[in-house]
Amino acid sequence: MPKTELLISYSFHPVDCVSVNDMIITSFCSSQKLSSQPLLLYSSPPSNPSEPGCHACAIVGGQPGVEARRQCREKQPRAAPKERGLGERRQHRPRKATLKSGAGDRRRLPQASAGAAMSASFTRRRIYKEGLGGRSQEPEVPRRTGLPPKPASRNFSEVPLPAGTLGCWATGAGGAGGLSAAPSKPRVAPTSCPGNFPSRPLPFLPPLLASRNPCPWHYVHLSGSYDTFVPTCFEAKLHRKRSGLTLGVACTLTDRASPAMATYTYTSQPRALPCQRRRYRDDQMQPAEEPMRYGNIMYDRRVIRGNTYALQTVPLPGQPDLAEIQRQQQAKRRALAKKRAQEQLRPRTPEPVEGRKHVDVQTELYLEEIADRIIEVDMECQTDAFLDKPPTPLFIPAKTGKDMATQILEGELFDFDLEVKPMLEVLVGKTIEQSLLEVMEEEELANLRASQRAHEELRNVELAEVQRLEERERRHREEKERRKQQQWQVVHKHNETAQKIAAQTFARRYLADLLPSVFSSLRDGGYFYDPVERDIEIGFLPWLMNEVDKTMECSMVGRTVVDMLIREVVEKRLSLYERKEDKHSPLKPEDGLSGPGGMRDPLVGYESQDHGASQAQRPLPDRDSPQRTPYDARYMERVSSQDRKLMEEEVEQTEMRKSFRSEEPLQ
Amino acid sequence: MPLPDTMFCAQQIHIPPELPDILKQFTKAAIRTQPADVLQWSAGYFSALSRGDPLPVKDRIEMPTATQKTDTGLTQGLLKVLHKQCSHKEHVELADLEQKWKNLCLPVEKFRALLQLDPCENKIEGIKFLALGCSMLGGSLNTAMKHLCEILTADPEGGPARIPFETFSYVYRYLSGLDSDIPASDTESYLSSLKDSVRAWRTHRLEEHPWLGSKLDHQLGPALGPLDREKH
Repeated sequence: MPKTELLISYSFHPVDCVSVNDMIITSFCSSQKLSSQPLLLYSSPPSNPSEPGCHACAIVGGQPGVEARRQCREKQPRAAPKERGLGERRQHRPRKATLKSGAGDRRRLPQASAGAAMSASFTRRRIYKEGLGGRSQEPEVPRRTGLPPKPASRNFSEVPLPAGTLGCWATGAGGAGGLSAAPSKPRVAPTSCPGNFPSRPLPFLPPLLASRNPCPWHYVHLSGSYDTFVPTCFEAKLHRKRSGLTLGVACTLTDRASPAMATYTYTSQPRALPCQRRRYRDDQMQPAEEPMRYGNIMYDRRVIRGNTYALQTVPLPGQPDLAEIQRQQQAKRRALAKKRAQEQLRPRTPEPVEGRKHVDVQTELYLEEIADRIIEVDMECQTDAFLDKPPTPLFIPAKTGKDMATQILEGELFDFDLEVKPMLEVLVGKTIEQSLLEVMEEEELANLRASQRAHEELRNVELAEVQRLEERERRHREEKERRKQQQWQVVHKHNETAQKIAAQTFARRYLADLLPSVFSSLRDGGYFYDPVERDIEIGFLPWLMNEVDKTMECSMVGRTVVDMLIREVVEKRLSLYERKEDKHSPLKPEDGLSGPGGMRDPLVGYESQDHGASQAQRPLPDRDSPQRTPYDARYMERVSSQDRKLMEEEVEQTEMRKSFRSEEPLQ
Repeated sequence: MPLPDTMFCAQQIHIPPELPDILKQFTKAAIRTQPADVLQWSAGYFSALSRGDPLPVKDRIEMPTATQKTDTGLTQGLLKVLHKQCSHKEHVELADLEQKWKNLCLPVEKFRALLQLDPCENKIEGIKFLALGCSMLGGSLNTAMKHLCEILTADPEGGPARIPFETFSYVYRYLSGLDSDIPASDTESYLSSLKDSVRAWRTHRLEEHPWLGSKLDHQLGPALGPLDREKH
């Protein structure tokens, strides 16, 4: 494949668009006044100019004038939303416009390269003019390259483009379809041209239009400054499409930027941040890489920008309007579906013709190494079948030296006496040494044992001696104890005797005074008496008194009887004498007789009674009463109070009896 | 591979395995006995060894107190060796005894002089010969009896060296009989007093340790150790 390079010098302003297509160079000037400026273009001629398949398109727009700046200004606001979508990937290599074969990398659209080239040129120019450094960080130049133009959507709505045609838009393949539809494109009318666009038809337009292929220019210029390229594009469709797109964008924008009235939910699978610039191939096993959706954090709704004082707090996110949510979701869904359909229906670069390939080209001034294509080299090798390692052969050193031979007679080599000498020396020396050692050791042990036994013997003897001495000592001690005990006993007895003697003496002396007093008191108390005297006093005297009393009473009775007899006699005689005087009265003898008889009977009864009582009362009163009389006073002095009381009672009794007896005769 | 007839190196020399032991024992015996004539003694040693007799080896090494120049060269250890060699039978052949005497590197003249004390025919009682030897060792009778006790005792060395009373009295009578200076009555009185003391000692031991009775009976009489010590 021939490599087509397009080198554009920046010193040439007026170049607006350069298309390299089989050496067809299209150049136009955006403004009249600049058109006169020369256009320089360098292109390496393709090796196969007859091939129409490969087109390298590069657009270098350069408008140093006011016009260009205006265009830029116009483009910027419109391109901004889309810029993020497509431009980001290209940020890092804005200076590379590569055309790749469609089979190799379909993701890269030719518009991208073209747009990039154009943007690069734009920005570069601008940078040059403004004198800003840092080419690598050029801001996003407004471009609408990413806009899916869908020029054929109307005509080929029912015929979707094959997937492979996405590759290169600059190829002229698929020209038949485009050609066939070309007549049905009356839209390309000069009326749609803006004013500043050159009215004259460009010489290359017909073939471009006839190819019915949307040229990258269209998109470039539609996105960038479509008014300059209107003649080459389907304006109405674009208008419609753009409006639709803007609507979708607006929808998404509103959806994205709408104040958080609904519950915000965001879920995403955690994933590793991929390296932006991959040097190496992706894992083959991994399927198609899903698009990374890493947004700028500045557009993250979770991040609050600005101050939070004036932040309107949402009333309560718990009760959102269901209808509103549904509407929003529907709108979102619609927008997504539309986007998908648009992506599907986007016209692709036609397939390269048989035997050709799409290839990226570098259109920059300086060649740079393209790092995003991984260089691959296939190498092959075939290993042998696995075999067991054979055993390592034994190492046998190589023989060195020479073999010589000589004869040895018997006894020449070996002399027994000589050879046996060291052995004998060892034998004898060792034997003697060991024997000496052993003898010394045994001797030492025997000596130790002998001395030990001698010591034991000595100790035994001494022990016996000690025992003997101990025994003697014990016996002495016992004897001493015994003697001491004896002496103690003797002393004790002596003391005891002395004490006894002293006590005896004392008692004797003490009792010497006591005895006479006791005897005297006892004698005073009447404890010592003569039994005969006592018997006489107690037994005999009362009886005697009784008898005396009885005798006395008998005599008294006799006297009384005699008195009564005398009285009777006297009275009789008196009465006789009276009768004699009064002639004898009969009454006198009767009274005399009855008187003594009446008196005598009770006297006898009383006497007998008195006798019995006196006999019963004899022991005490009859005893005491007689003895009182002789020595009453003396006796009363001696006896104790008790006796005295007793005596008093007796005395009373006897007195009573006496009085009674004394009264008796009166009765 | 059969052993070659010729020797080529020292490793082929064969040493009988029992040789080192014999050599060692012999060396030890020689060191311990310290014979004056090693050859003579070695002949006796190896002949005794081959015959299985008691070896002429001292039990303990002796410091060379006796020299053959000044005295007989007889020592207690040598006497013990002789007694050990002759104790297995009561009567000893004089020739045999002389041979043994010679093997111990003792001068034969001394042997003859010893035998002149108690002349006998070709046989002598072992105990008598021992008593004679003991009398030759020390001057006095007591020293001789002490040596005898130490040789004859069954107690370990350094112990009280007790011997049965009968043996003691027999030897004592024999030795005192040889000496014409000592009257027989003294000997008898000494022996009787000794016997009394021995009996007293024995009864004392029995009183102290009644469980020792059977043992003392087995000892064939009381030991003489303490008495021996009392003597000197």
